[in-house]
Amino acid sequence: MITTFTHHDLIRFIYNETTNEQHRAIELALLCDNQLSEEYKKIQSTIGALTKVSFEPSNSTIETILNYSKSTNLHAAK
Amino acid sequence: MNNLEISDSQLVSLYIKGNEESFEVLLNRYKSKVFTTIYLIVKDKYIAEDLTQDTFIKAINTLRSKRYNEEGKFKPWIMRIAHNLAIDHFRKNKRYPTIVMEDGSNVFNTLAFSEAPYETFQLQQDTKTKLRAFVEELPENQREVIMMRHFMEMSFQDIAEATDVSINTALGRMRYALINLRKKMKQHNIAYDNNIYPS
Repeated sequence: MITTFTHHDLIRFIYNETTNEQHRAIELALLCDNQLSEEYKKIQSTIGALTKVSFEPSNSTIETILNYSKSTNLHAAK
Repeated sequence: MNNLEISDSQLVSLYIKGNEESFEVLLNRYKSKVFTTIYLIVKDKYIAEDLTQDTFIKAINTLRSKRYNEEGKFKPWIMRIAHNLAIDHFRKNKRYPTIVMEDGSNVFNTLAFSEAPYETFQLQQDTKTKLRAFVEELPENQREVIMMRHFMEMSFQDIAEATDVSINTALGRMRYALINLRKKMKQHNIAYDNNIYPS
């Protein structure tokens, strides 16, 4: 019997939120179903880009936090 | 300190015992996730800086007073503090504080977020800046699911519960967010290649 998988199944698969059984079934389906495989590649590529989206706080913010931490350290040598 | 081998809970224990370096490792581990989560909610770099500071100071106070009881779960704990502070700020202001420049561009585009030499990484930075802008432009509920799944690392079940929707709705929002991002990437000829843009 051929199991069809939805976009939602693919998203859960990519994010490792499927059961072991579903995971194996989708892996197998990706080998046989070109359409599903293409969709998988597209989603993976977009998620790959998304993982690069990040922002960094400034050095002064980091310094302020570290200084605050040091100022509250009761164990520090006087 | 070989920080790759030390777990969050070990770092927390060391910090509580007075080891400052362990907190610096935790800060470096989570500063970007915390800042990005806050930024995507408040959409203002300067407010995000302040709230990032508040998040870690709140964490320091809790750890120092030995009220921290989530050993081994530092990440979801710190991300929850960040999320709650950002949401509180957003509710108090009841508006998106997007700052628009005279030419209509978002002030975000004029700010240098990377400390890497601009000349060397111009191509990477341009692409990353565009990608960040694409995420910012997503409809609220799609941006929210991206933020919760990617930066807060919540499961779709947790996202569904937190946003009071079914898991299929949460997955649907993620699907449309990815479709929209893909469309925008295509429109701007951005084909993401990990070989060109390494971590």
